[in-house]
Amino acid sequence: MAANNLWQFRVRNIFSVTIICLSFLFLGIFLALSNNLRQTAENLSSNMVMTFFLEKGLTESEVGQIEAQLRQSHHVADIQYISAEKALERFRQNFPELRSILDNLKANPFPASLEAKLAKESSSSPDVLAFIQAARGIKGIEDVQFNRDWIEKMQSLSRLAKAVGFFLGGILILASFFIISNVIKLNVFARKNEIEILRLVGATNLFIRIPFILEGIVLGILGSALSLALLFLVIKAFPLYLGSSLGALQQLLSLRILTGGQSLWLVAGGAAIGILGSVTSVSRFLKV
Amino acid sequence: MIELFHVAKQYQKPHWALSDINIQVKRGDFVFITGPSGSGKSTLLKIIFREIVPTEGQIIVDGQNILKIPGHKIHHLRRTMGIVFQDFRLLFHRTVFDNVSVPLQVTGVTRKEIRRRVFNTLRLVNLHHNMWDLPSRLSYGEQQRVAIARAIVNNPKIILADEPTGNLDPELAFEIFSLFKDINKQGATVIIGSHDRELIRHFGQRILFLQKGKLLGKDAL
Repeated sequence: MAANNLWQFRVRNIFSVTIICLSFLFLGIFLALSNNLRQTAENLSSNMVMTFFLEKGLTESEVGQIEAQLRQSHHVADIQYISAEKALERFRQNFPELRSILDNLKANPFPASLEAKLAKESSSSPDVLAFIQAARGIKGIEDVQFNRDWIEKMQSLSRLAKAVGFFLGGILILASFFIISNVIKLNVFARKNEIEILRLVGATNLFIRIPFILEGIVLGILGSALSLALLFLVIKAFPLYLGSSLGALQQLLSLRILTGGQSLWLVAGGAAIGILGSVTSVSRFLKV
Repeated sequence: MIELFHVAKQYQKPHWALSDINIQVKRGDFVFITGPSGSGKSTLLKIIFREIVPTEGQIIVDGQNILKIPGHKIHHLRRTMGIVFQDFRLLFHRTVFDNVSVPLQVTGVTRKEIRRRVFNTLRLVNLHHNMWDLPSRLSYGEQQRVAIARAIVNNPKIILADEPTGNLDPELAFEIFSLFKDINKQGATVIIGSHDRELIRHFGQRILFLQKGKLLGKDAL
């Protein structure tokens, strides 16, 4: 009976499925964005780096002494020397759009540096800042850059994206709940005679409700599953749309595929909306 | 089998649709409830199958006070009854077979048994050749026979019919009343609300006359 009814009111049902799909697609996009930001933040967190920019004209021996001094600190896990040429080449790769500016420079503007990975146990330690302040005083070190602030901003951004996604997605889901309720109410009203006849011949309330509940579940699952399929296409198409012009920013704005758990929750959410919409719509016609 | 004690119904003050109705219907009775339009025939029938509840009074059906049945258990009462309406109340987008099989589907009868019983019932009302037709392809008389088939397919103890021949010409009406008589002969208690005096005179064994919600004696016809 549920299958018959789904087919009989297919135009209305397609409308409901479309609304649910769009609602969950929007939520999915924010989840995908948040996944990417969170993963990026996690990657960066595991690679917190202190960059000690060296003064120009240091000898190999002097660089070695500075390196040895820095290694003495328990905050430092590993140190790598980055020459000025290597720094220039890195910049070219990360910001290809600025190549033309670099080609016009007469001299290499980038200093040599020592990149030190932060030890894991020091990732949130306040002593790190004191160490960095002290390192600024070492002869030969011109400046120190530490990306922890940047990482914390990334983590905040990830949380914000997730919160905004849930907030806006929540509003859309609420809207789709009301829409699907009203569509099912229209279906129920259109079948008011049928329901009345079922009641008069002795059908239980459950017997009457079940086809509508099944219809709601099918509509909800179809809508949310379709949103997952569309989301997959969007995730694949988005980098093509962005191209490579954004350089390093592209990594931030990418969408990451939802996890298996998130996908299941999305589909379950669709089914739940379908059930709730059906139950609230049918009840008013079952009063005795 | 059906007993009404001081039943009264008020939809809107101060008018009473029914006043102090006392009726006893025995098993196997064939009863007509008649009266002018607005006399309370439909209200009385609706109270018996508990579509509405009376403002006052008690109703006993087959030894059970039906007013004490909770809402979620009313279906048990309805399954012992077959109800026929003036407007047929058929599902026009479903076949004759589907329409008649509804009371069997809700009681969980197997598909094989449904097919057997629906066919036999349609044969009883001479519509077995139209089993797969849509009701819209049938005449008014045939549609009413489908409604009657649906009412009797479950072998109910009680048949209630509210103006079952209201939309039919005299010949067809006679045919329908004959059908009810046959059903009654097989043991069902039949209560028909009708204002067709000719047919009531012809078929009536017991006649209850309602006027402005009050019950008068059968002699009032």
